[in-house]
Amino acid sequence: MKRLMLTSLVAVLVFGFGGSVDYARGQNITAASSIAPASDAATVNLSLPVKEGSVRFLVVGDTGTGTVQQQELADVMTRHRAAFPFEFVLLLGDNLYGSEKPQDFKTKFEDVYKSLLEDDVKFYATLGNHDQSNQRFYGLFNMGGNEYYRLQKGSVAFYCLNSNYMDKRQVKWLNDELAKDTSEWKIAFFHHPPYSSGGKHGSSSDLREIVEPIFLKYGVNAVFAGHEHFYERIKPQNGIYYFISGAGGKLRPGDVKKGSPLTEKAFDGDMSFMLLEVAGDELHFQVISRAGATVDAGVLANQRKKSLSAAN
Amino acid sequence: MTKKINKRTVFAFGRGARRWLVIAMLSLVAAPAFAQQAETVVAPPPTLSTKEQRAVDAFLERVRAYVALREGIENKLPKLSTQSTPEQIEAHETALEVKVRTARLGARRGEMFTPDVARHIRSTIKKEYRGRERVELRESVLEADTKGVALRVNYTYPEDKELVEMPPTLLLKLPQLPKQLRYRFVGRNMALVDRENELIIDYMLDALP
Repeated sequence: MKRLMLTSLVAVLVFGFGGSVDYARGQNITAASSIAPASDAATVNLSLPVKEGSVRFLVVGDTGTGTVQQQELADVMTRHRAAFPFEFVLLLGDNLYGSEKPQDFKTKFEDVYKSLLEDDVKFYATLGNHDQSNQRFYGLFNMGGNEYYRLQKGSVAFYCLNSNYMDKRQVKWLNDELAKDTSEWKIAFFHHPPYSSGGKHGSSSDLREIVEPIFLKYGVNAVFAGHEHFYERIKPQNGIYYFISGAGGKLRPGDVKKGSPLTEKAFDGDMSFMLLEVAGDELHFQVISRAGATVDAGVLANQRKKSLSAAN
Repeated sequence: MTKKINKRTVFAFGRGARRWLVIAMLSLVAAPAFAQQAETVVAPPPTLSTKEQRAVDAFLERVRAYVALREGIENKLPKLSTQSTPEQIEAHETALEVKVRTARLGARRGEMFTPDVARHIRSTIKKEYRGRERVELRESVLEADTKGVALRVNYTYPEDKELVEMPPTLLLKLPQLPKQLRYRFVGRNMALVDRENELIIDYMLDALP
């Protein structure tokens, strides 16, 4: 905890955030203007432990614009990889806005993340409301031809869902897979956020009504979603950690409702992505803006382990 | 009569009861322990009348016939691998679209969504979404940018247009489609779309109350 506070210098100075398993703090919405940018790799402020054998990944959503801004954010990802060698990226949907011709795959994805792809970083995509189903066959999205799938990385099981079309078949699959899953960590990622303080969209409560009871029953630890073009860390809901990271290619400035009781921390002043590390019973996270600044950081405990030790 | 009373009872409880109803429906496909938990607190889901059941069965029969046709066509095309390039995906999609379209020349609106099944779908949505829930349903469906999407049978849904997130609670109540087909709201109307080639197989007007 102390080490985290020291290494999260930017976050501590600007937001007073030290990283904690205890979410007792109030709402905190920040804008880009208050953040000091990091100019190059040497100035990357990393608050993640980079432990040996840990599962390291990046999460970003709503990327597929092919704009200069998307490229700038991708450049910041590459810079951070030098200090935090993440192995893979979870794409939270809206991977390609507009048309989906072969040229679009190139300009809105391959060109933008060229340096990461060249470094053999794997991207695992989910489908958003702007994505055609056939993206599931695209080799670089690693969906294995499926709209929903399970991915195992070390002690973490990742569940990619298609929130555009959560039908009986998918619900059954989710139940069946989770029922037999003994992984220490279970993380779900999909496009529409079950909880959100966004003014434009807000919470996908209908989806939540279906998936949250399943997550609770089988002990899903964390959920990542996009759709909203900002970052938000939701106060734990029924013990589950919910994150929104949908500002990878588009930004909706000022869209987070001020005073929302859901918000633990939010950032709608610039585009951003999340760096994550699962090390033992801890999930460490750090959120980086396009300017290279840390806008949120912390460490979360594995809820199931916590309740087990409490029970013992 | 009994059925009527059951339905009224369920709906009179409002959102809380409806949530349990959804959980009960989920339990049909979920693990046994989950089903057991839900069964103790909910009334059984409303069953369909013989007339409605007949309409749904006939609809699913037509759907299966379409799927058999398009599967026959797709099986003759080069298979897409899980490592396909964008060029291969586009070629496959276009070939499937052209061939299915040709095979269905002359297809007209209402051939899948016949009046009886369209009536059933409209009434399901009306019954299941009331008051605040209906308002929320309308908001979420109409929020999507589908302006300018021309609903024409045997034409494609434009790839640059947003897809409406289909409310999962509704999907659990509509007749279950094979994986190749999707229900999709376009404004207040509902289309039946092939997920592989984006062809609009049929559509019905004013699905959303």
